[in-house]
Amino acid sequence: MTGTTIAERIEIQAMASELAHRELAPRAAALDAGGQDVLTECWRLLAELGLDRVLLDERHGGAGLGVADLLATIEELAVGDGGIAMCMLLCNAALATLADEHLADVPAGARWALVPAASGTEVTLSNGQLDGGVACALGAYGADGLVILLDGPEPAAWAVGAGAAGLTLERDRSQMGLRAAPAASVELAGVSCTPARDASGGSATAVNVASALALLRAGTAAIARGISRRAYETALEYAHARKQGGVTIIEHDAVSDMLSAMAVRLALRPGIAIDEVQALAAKIATTDATVASTTDAVQVFGGTGYMVETGIEKLMRDAKYCQLFPEPNWVAHDELMRPERTSRMAPLTRTIAGSGEARAPRGRVL
Amino acid sequence: MTSITPERSLRERFPRLLPHGEHLDVGELERLRSRTRCFAEDHVRPRALEIDRRTGEDPSWFDWDLVRAGGEQGMLGLLIPKPAGGAGGLATQAAIVMEELCAACPGIALIFGAHALGVAPLLLGGPSQWDGVLAELVQSERTAKPLLMACAITEPEAGTDVEDPDLLRRARITSHARRVPGGFRLSGTKRFISNGSVARWITLLMPTDPRHPAETWTCFLLDTRSEGFAVARVEHKMGQRACPAAELTFDEVFVPDERVVSREGDGAAATTIVLACSRPPVGAIATGIARGAYERVLGWLEEDRAAKGLLARQHVQLALASMEEEIHLARQLYMDAATELDHTALGGVTSNPAVRAIAHVPAGVRRRAPMHGWLASDRARDATIALLHRTTSERAVTRSLALSSMAKAHGGDVAMLVTGAALELVGLRAGPVRAELEKLWRDAKLTQIYEGTNQLNRLEVYRGLCRSETISCLPPLHPIRRKTEGGRS
Repeated sequence: MTGTTIAERIEIQAMASELAHRELAPRAAALDAGGQDVLTECWRLLAELGLDRVLLDERHGGAGLGVADLLATIEELAVGDGGIAMCMLLCNAALATLADEHLADVPAGARWALVPAASGTEVTLSNGQLDGGVACALGAYGADGLVILLDGPEPAAWAVGAGAAGLTLERDRSQMGLRAAPAASVELAGVSCTPARDASGGSATAVNVASALALLRAGTAAIARGISRRAYETALEYAHARKQGGVTIIEHDAVSDMLSAMAVRLALRPGIAIDEVQALAAKIATTDATVASTTDAVQVFGGTGYMVETGIEKLMRDAKYCQLFPEPNWVAHDELMRPERTSRMAPLTRTIAGSGEARAPRGRVL
Repeated sequence: MTSITPERSLRERFPRLLPHGEHLDVGELERLRSRTRCFAEDHVRPRALEIDRRTGEDPSWFDWDLVRAGGEQGMLGLLIPKPAGGAGGLATQAAIVMEELCAACPGIALIFGAHALGVAPLLLGGPSQWDGVLAELVQSERTAKPLLMACAITEPEAGTDVEDPDLLRRARITSHARRVPGGFRLSGTKRFISNGSVARWITLLMPTDPRHPAETWTCFLLDTRSEGFAVARVEHKMGQRACPAAELTFDEVFVPDERVVSREGDGAAATTIVLACSRPPVGAIATGIARGAYERVLGWLEEDRAAKGLLARQHVQLALASMEEEIHLARQLYMDAATELDHTALGGVTSNPAVRAIAHVPAGVRRRAPMHGWLASDRARDATIALLHRTTSERAVTRSLALSSMAKAHGGDVAMLVTGAALELVGLRAGPVRAELEKLWRDAKLTQIYEGTNQLNRLEVYRGLCRSETISCLPPLHPIRRKTEGGRS
């Protein structure tokens, strides 16, 4: 296994950061408005840089990078737009679960989405066919393919092409946040599906389903971090420019206290999660902090922040969806307290990827 | 669906309501709450999501049918004094109505709340205002063409500034009311004005001398058909979309002397009193939003198949208990603030024998030349201010403002807390209730911002309660007559 050096990772982050500021941030309002054309345009930019398949090796057109690199890249993109970063996370997570023979059929630039679902209550599998439905599946609308990730007593991952018979995707018009990852109500009526396979070529197992979920959680935490940074930077800039009572508002304790709290939350953010427990903890802590920070950011802006055109309230909506995906944080707390996890909390050993500070692993990770 | 509206009566919960006069008849308050709830359930809640969607696409879209329906329920004349044909309600009634409407849809409630805010400065003008626009508003309420009001204070460069007398002195006020023969010419821009694009009349505040905004802050009654007035744009808001927030421009708009509300230079004091009156209803708005979220999530937990078994979880039980607790406290705070205002701070004005005597004069007589002329005179305006000084004190109003601010700030935080927690309980997969909760969460954020940010409100609490300070919040007995452009002093 080869690895990424710190210098390489910094370079990747710089590239993602530039893309976020130059291309994504100016389009964030249009993405939030739900425009499919602008999503397609942004996705093309990401795909050209190989960011749609970061974890895949070169045989499949991927960059062969590790999870830590993916998460660092996602965080940078989320500074530009949280929704498009979520699209990237869902696509990378979905493609990482596909077996080699399926990957060969996935054209460059295709957008796939990983859809977590509760086995039995939401989706059932019988004789190789899927039935049921998943509400508000982020990124599913307009995707070229889905990987249905069944969690529960019989964990499994199943690949479904967008045109599969029996599959209906209806756009969730009420989606409040992360709107660049268009959500759909997924209806499955006897959909024939193919089992996704893990890196070793075996059938999907509880291990890699859990790992895929951990990747979603760690990725959501990374997106939340990016949103937090954007909120802080924007609010700080505004506080230095806006005057109230004859002085800039940052000179009012009422405002500087909020900004300070935002800075503290950023400083205390968890590092990149490398195992299931850390991913859960990072997701809970980071998304809660991001909701608090984005809410404060709107407050710093006052009435102006409540208006859509400033783009600040969008950060708050995006942050709230991070708190609810892939599960609400109170359910994530439940997950964290499962006996098999509490027994592993110290030392933290099980990883979804190595994250050595000097060298991170390359290649398939799930 | 489960409702958490208190089972105990208002009389039991708020004994201070008992010993007072006709304005706070407890039975009438109960009937008002019940009537408003029926209206909210029948007319408001069923349309809330659709109106939110439509105004999200086109912020200028406005549902006049709802205003007509509300008018039939007397919601446009709720605060208008009985001699002018209104219901003679005070802050307590306004707050009760707001909680009930907001449990269904805060945006629609804000239409009526912003209307009441526009009416409030006129009430401080005393009997001189009864037979003009106030009577017109009441008459319109009974027709198919109801008239709305708005109140315009905020400017592009001054938001929180204009709601605090100290900050106002150093604020970047860009509007200006220039004295001309027979009245004033108004210039400038007002921003984020709720109902601004649909109001027939607007009470607005501008300085007559921009170098001394606090001392010359003056309230005007503006006819929106006046030449030079324009709606520059309607904002695209995060929530509370049913009520449009507009940017208004004034290009040398003429306002005659008789449409100066109260007296020139009394605007800062009037703003303080109006905020003391309007913040308890904002606390009620926030309480209603929290209650709406609580009732929806409880209904979902009890009735939705997807939520089966969740009510048995202690986590859920504890979350619901916390919500109930916070809502209860928020309601206590706004009712306490409203009753303090209605009784202690301003109660003496409404029950004053002189005011009652004028109220008994038939409207037809009041409108005739001799009496109308006196009521519109400077002497009558001075007499109204003198009455205010006799019946209340700056300390009483300061304390009332602090309590109102506490109710507003705490309520806003509760609204955010409860809607956020409710949304987290149901998650993304919950179906239609999720959309309702998301809307309430978006709506809730505004309650931490409007009527002064929560931070400013808490500074009012510090001054009025922690430090027992007394702020200058009554118009001076003898107004400062400044020489202004145009020659009149």
